[in-house]
Amino acid sequence: MILFKIKNLFHLVYTIALKNIKVKYKNSVLGFMWSMLHPLAYLVIFIFVFSNVFVGIDRYPLFALIGLVFWTYFANSMTQIINSIISNASIIKTIALPNILFPMSAAFAEFVTMLLSLIPFFVLMLFFGLKITWITLLIFPAIILFGLFTFGLATFLATFNVFFRDVGILWNTLAPALFYFTPIAFLSTMIPDKYMVYVKLNPLYHYMELVRDILYYNQLPGTTTLFITTGLALAMFVLGILVFNRYKKGFVSNL
Amino acid sequence: MSADSVITVRDLHVNFWISGAGIFSIKDVVMSMGRQKALEKKLVLKGLNLEIKRGECFALMGKNGSGKSTLLRTLAGIITPESGSIEIKGSVAPLLTIGAGLENELSGYENIKIVGTLIGMRGKELKDAVAVIKDFSELSHDDLNMQIKRYSAGMMARLAFSISVCRIPDILIVDEALSVGDQGFQVKCADRINEMKAAGTTIIYVSHSLAELKRICTRGACLEDGKIAKVGPIDEVGEYYSQSFK
Repeated sequence: MILFKIKNLFHLVYTIALKNIKVKYKNSVLGFMWSMLHPLAYLVIFIFVFSNVFVGIDRYPLFALIGLVFWTYFANSMTQIINSIISNASIIKTIALPNILFPMSAAFAEFVTMLLSLIPFFVLMLFFGLKITWITLLIFPAIILFGLFTFGLATFLATFNVFFRDVGILWNTLAPALFYFTPIAFLSTMIPDKYMVYVKLNPLYHYMELVRDILYYNQLPGTTTLFITTGLALAMFVLGILVFNRYKKGFVSNL
Repeated sequence: MSADSVITVRDLHVNFWISGAGIFSIKDVVMSMGRQKALEKKLVLKGLNLEIKRGECFALMGKNGSGKSTLLRTLAGIITPESGSIEIKGSVAPLLTIGAGLENELSGYENIKIVGTLIGMRGKELKDAVAVIKDFSELSHDDLNMQIKRYSAGMMARLAFSISVCRIPDILIVDEALSVGDQGFQVKCADRINEMKAAGTTIIYVSHSLAELKRICTRGACLEDGKIAKVGPIDEVGEYYSQSFK
């Protein structure tokens, strides 16, 4: 394999990511706006459906919006990265490029989309009662941790999706379940104690705690949360890359 | 590796990884506690040796499934071999499938930029290439501004081929890609290949048309079941290949 320099690699990631974004929104009138309208639509549903149920939650629209923005990022990234190898089959089979480019490009495209959508969402959050202090800035390292975790997990699954397409189908099937299993619409304190142990097995629970601590409660994240989210992000990132490199040899004969 | 050879392949082994289809195989893997493997390896190239000299035009023959395309992909760096060594001197331009990497929803110009970047062109080189591609493909400015999903098959082939041959590489790998476009364009493609040959490009050419191979190539090899069965002057290898069908 040719050794690509970091700059070259980034140039390729950028080119493919830009292509993905262009293709995704080429024939839609609202284009990029959709990445914001999607969580907004859910927010409206949440406010209508749950505001009366969860009356105890202070500033409920803000609470739900924070959860929705990061869930949307997670769900979109998973779908795009898991399919990134299969959807670029024709390139992978004809041009010698490092295969990790494709998950990286998908991740980059979704990451940038999320960052851009944060701008209008921040305005909306302010409207819903977001307090801005220096703690708010911690959202950026938190996003990076969440991004690393998402990339690692999705790259791990993308590898197996090449050999067993069941993986991608399974993700599409389980995603809605995971959505309700994660405290997005409701407070984690509303979960009965006896189920808490299972909820904590869900990595997303900890990342939701992390971003809510920073944006919603405007407080420093708890040590346990910090420890778990950082550990998970690094472990998942390394695992994803290792598994990908271990099995990439088999890609061409399975595409 | 002798001084004048550009490609030296020694004892090359390449595997395909075959996954059992459907959920049943995953179940089987789990039930057997991992004793049964989810992925089986199938040896496609079985200890292949090959040497290709600088500037020569080398023909590859062999029945369907003998491993020709796999060998080309391995030489192009697309497939990682299981064992053995490959030494390549210079840049390789593979012409394997026409239209790889082209995105239907985007315009001709956008596609040139993307595919050009993917095959390693940057900055000024890429800018210059756009003009060369436009000229070679004979597609108009309007055509290139159009989404390529509206192209005819011939126009698509013109665009794809032009992108692939806009640079003169050290080694060109051609997998039956020349039968594209109308008659005029085919002549143009053949001319371009000759131009590269004159510039010193080494060419590896896969085709089932013996007449075409004899016209272009001087030496060749015949693959059988993942190994080189015969290598030598084109006439001898061609004769051997023809005989294998009798």
